[in-house]
Amino acid sequence: MRGLFGRYRDVFIVGALLVFPFVTFLSSGHKGRDPNVVDRVVLAVAAPIQGALTWLVDGVGDGVDGYLTLRGAREEARACTVELSQTRAELNTLREASLENERLRKLLGYVERSVDTEIAARVVGVNPSPQFLSVRLSRGESDGVHVGMPVVTPDGVLGQVVRTVSGSADVMLLSDPVSRVGAVLQRTRVRATVVGTGDGKRLALENTGRDADVQANDVVVTSGTDGIFPKGLVLGTVEAVQRAPSGLFLSAQLAPAVVPGTVEEVLVVPAVAAVPPAALLPQRSTP
Amino acid sequence: MKVLALVGIGLLLLCVESVAVKSLGFSVTRVDVTLLLVVFLSLSAGLVEGAFAAFALGYLLDVFTGRPTGLFPFLAVLTYLVVRLGSVVVDARGRGLFALVTGAAVVAHGLFATFFTWLTSRAAQSPVASVSGLPLQAVLTMAAALALWPLLQRLDPGKERPEPGALR
Repeated sequence: MRGLFGRYRDVFIVGALLVFPFVTFLSSGHKGRDPNVVDRVVLAVAAPIQGALTWLVDGVGDGVDGYLTLRGAREEARACTVELSQTRAELNTLREASLENERLRKLLGYVERSVDTEIAARVVGVNPSPQFLSVRLSRGESDGVHVGMPVVTPDGVLGQVVRTVSGSADVMLLSDPVSRVGAVLQRTRVRATVVGTGDGKRLALENTGRDADVQANDVVVTSGTDGIFPKGLVLGTVEAVQRAPSGLFLSAQLAPAVVPGTVEEVLVVPAVAAVPPAALLPQRSTP
Repeated sequence: MKVLALVGIGLLLLCVESVAVKSLGFSVTRVDVTLLLVVFLSLSAGLVEGAFAAFALGYLLDVFTGRPTGLFPFLAVLTYLVVRLGSVVVDARGRGLFALVTGAAVVAHGLFATFFTWLTSRAAQSPVASVSGLPLQAVLTMAAALALWPLLQRLDPGKERPEPGALR
């Protein structure tokens, strides 16, 4: 037996390298695994490199942008000065109103929940494999980011944290084929499921009755029924609706509220925290 | 030691690619940098050290996906062995043939990855979305293979593979 192993040692080793990951894949499927020591070491090495490269690319980009936009900056600065004066006056009025509001709240014994618990993070990289759509953030476990937390921008939902290590976190995008989010149409309150199509550009609407009132330009928001995403976050806008002659459900394509390729900074929302107000408001105009 | 350097280059290239895709936008097709190195290992490394390096490169890609499942280490070692087997017929240890073999490997790897992902995730959507960018991905990876060839030649892990073949 020992002689046999010795004779075919190389074949056994290569076979093990082939079979072991395949068995792991078949057993874990698309769920993935929790980060082990090796994963953490790789990510600990990669995250600073990605951060440095992002800083370098953004720095060069900002420099070029700054130079190109320098022309006309003087006129813009004058206009801004005027606008600033007006805004200061408005701000003063709002401060007065805010102080009055605070006094009244105290008077009524109202306790306001903090909305400053979300964690700001920077997108430092994109997953190089087209089969899984995810991005990497500059914040991780040590900053309070945990698996399952929703990730939003002022435009709406970007995705959900699927893995986190000490200094970075990976976010599965809404457009990933595995992504499923409980949703509701803002106009008609019709329930649906928003799923990723895998192409990184579109989302799809599922589990909506064929006769439901769904039209192009309808805004779709989170329903809060999936236990992950808080209620009322913008997911996207309906682009097209197809109603097949038979079948229970209609199908619809959505333009995502957040275009992942343009996102630089995001907010990670702790599961029970309040949602940043900006994410609740649809940025697109609806007829 | 040179094999370790190749794995290190793989990690660096993955970092560069992830930042480049972020900066250029998601519509940019990926360049399969790890597969490029796996093909190079198939053509130049010894059986066991090459298999370990291919596994390591696949593992890196797996970690970068955000949801490591073991799929990419498996596919990397499989690609490594298939290219070694293929090199019995065609000795691709030249720049042009290396690029061609890399392109073919990218297409096969992409199809397998999409199939297995679809098989396990049971996603309702068609896997066509993932495959649609494959031709451009193959072309870009071939271009990267041509560009990186001089560097890879410097890191040729020993040239101790006198005869092509899968398990030699």
